[in-house]
Amino acid sequence: MGLQSRNFKELYKKQIRKPTLRTNLSKATLQAVDSRSQSFESIDFDFLQNQAKAIKEETISSLNEYLSQYQDAAEHNRCKVFFAQSAEKARAYVLDVARSHNVHTIVKSKSMVTEELDLVPFLENYGIEAIETDLGEYIVQLAGEKPSHITTPAIHKSRKEIAELFHDKLGSALNPDPPFLTAEARRVLRNKFLSAEMGISGANFLIAETGDAVIVENEGNARLSTSAVKVHVIVTGIEKIIPKFNDLRIFMRVLGRSSTGQKMTSYVSLIRGPRSAFEKDGPEEVHVVLVDNGRSSLLGTQHQEVLHCIRCGACLNVCPVYRNIGGHAYGSVYPGPIGSLVTPLYFGKDNAPDLPFASSLCGNCTEVCPVGIRIHHHLLSLRRDVVRLKKSRLQDFVFRSYRKAMLRPGRYELIGRLGGVLGRAGLLKAVTKGWTRDRELPDFPVKSFRSIYKTGKKS
Amino acid sequence: MEDDREKIFGAIRKGLREQSRIVAQRNPRSPLLSPMSADFDSKFSRFSSELARVGGETFVSNDLKPLLDSVLNRTHAESNIFVYDEIKEISPTGISSLAESRRVAYSSDLSVGYDKREVAVFDSVIAPCVACIAETGTIVFHTEARLPAALCTRLFVVAPAKSLVATLDEIFQEKFSSFQGSNLFFITGPSRTADIEKELVTGVHGPKEVLVLFYRA
Repeated sequence: MGLQSRNFKELYKKQIRKPTLRTNLSKATLQAVDSRSQSFESIDFDFLQNQAKAIKEETISSLNEYLSQYQDAAEHNRCKVFFAQSAEKARAYVLDVARSHNVHTIVKSKSMVTEELDLVPFLENYGIEAIETDLGEYIVQLAGEKPSHITTPAIHKSRKEIAELFHDKLGSALNPDPPFLTAEARRVLRNKFLSAEMGISGANFLIAETGDAVIVENEGNARLSTSAVKVHVIVTGIEKIIPKFNDLRIFMRVLGRSSTGQKMTSYVSLIRGPRSAFEKDGPEEVHVVLVDNGRSSLLGTQHQEVLHCIRCGACLNVCPVYRNIGGHAYGSVYPGPIGSLVTPLYFGKDNAPDLPFASSLCGNCTEVCPVGIRIHHHLLSLRRDVVRLKKSRLQDFVFRSYRKAMLRPGRYELIGRLGGVLGRAGLLKAVTKGWTRDRELPDFPVKSFRSIYKTGKKS
Repeated sequence: MEDDREKIFGAIRKGLREQSRIVAQRNPRSPLLSPMSADFDSKFSRFSSELARVGGETFVSNDLKPLLDSVLNRTHAESNIFVYDEIKEISPTGISSLAESRRVAYSSDLSVGYDKREVAVFDSVIAPCVACIAETGTIVFHTEARLPAALCTRLFVVAPAKSLVATLDEIFQEKFSSFQGSNLFFITGPSRTADIEKELVTGVHGPKEVLVLFYRA
């Protein structure tokens, strides 16, 4: 499907007109915000945020050393570590692994990096069945769509829409009851788990000290995707490293709370390597694909701290823009405030010039970020970069004139009067056409505030 | 296939060339606003309430009887029950009497690299654990076979009382970081999802019921 963020303006207009979208989104995001707040009531959020931020700063400032330490530890644990600079290279490696094991079916758990790589359609082009096993991901895969939220992929779909989808694609009874729909998915996917030869997962964290991959989830599908297979491939970004095993005491406390309002998610798997001599099951091979794909270009820039993101999705739930337009409007696998940073920064500002503007800059995103990324500051700064890239003469003229007017009270008053005359005569409608499409232009008063103030002062 | 390690490391070196190394000041204090007592009863009370909050159940006993009664109450004569050998060692007579009315198989029956369809038939599993965490109601597993406990509908866990720790801080330390084997696994309640309109549903891919017995002997 590829990156569609250049078409943001068309996409958001299309999304915003969907009648049920805003209702579904509001209900789901407000509930998530409420759960998150409750889950932090008994714990010191500021302490955790400061510690998480400090650990991430340390990691990124010495990324080479920690990546190298992780590689040594993982290889010592008998994992095969592969570095991929581009999406093409990462996809080619995964295909190579699948082909070398004569794989026909892959069970896949939720991973944003694999979405970024468009890995599933790529593998399917080569005749390999790759099944998403997270319920939300499975729903969007059946619908031929992309996830619209980092942690709740089918947040945009109502139960009725999902029931119709299951009826069409799986032949299920037309029953919108979530327990029924979930049981249907369990029934179908159980057979896939039992027949798959290979599993693909992401990793929430990679521990440099021990070489462990940490996978956090709620459904148990990642546990099965990484256990009921002969080959397990972990595909994740180079920024997912944390230095020490002990650092999990901080990250385990913030991730579940920030993403789904849980003190701890239902399942956490620490994968150290392939099956050992005393174990009877588990994969015989574990591969770790470490993907750059634009990440290293943030190092040394003012946006370096964007690499701290742990993909919890908390910033999406509190964003008034996301809540109205939904994830698909962003045209990227990374939606919401963090997506409006990651997309242009990883994949090029030219490819997503409007995303930094998809924010009210209210700062809610910054406030809830568990690793302290100053999201709205970065968005503002990116706006400057984008404006510089697409310099408009008209815009430049307007802002220069505005500056001049604001510096001289006489000029300001003259422009105010002129604007009033033109506005009352209806001559500004053409200029404000874009702005007034969804809003009413206020009436232009006969007397300005300044003149009323002066009159009042005299009397 | 040749990888891009050197290219990526080169790009990182270039990006970070003007930055000095930052070392985080890690503060070992607990972030919990209400500290927990170290005695078993306080920890048990917290563990039980946390696990109950996410739909799990807890017992404490000097023997396995309450757990085995629960197994009998929740299963039927046709049920297939998988028992890890460690449990059989704790209560050989209890497990033998369970085997009289249910189909029971043991982890020692599994061969290395067994066919995964063999264990898909077990609807209930009785498993040991290495630790339980009161702060979150979490159970920590480190078993020779991962799949039975991941595929079943009902998971019955036997935890030695001394394995109950107060907080996550006690788990994420050196003792546990040096675990042997391919994985360490944490469960906090039944498998669950809220992917459809944020309505909570349990038993998505893993167990729908999770019961823990703290064994005090």
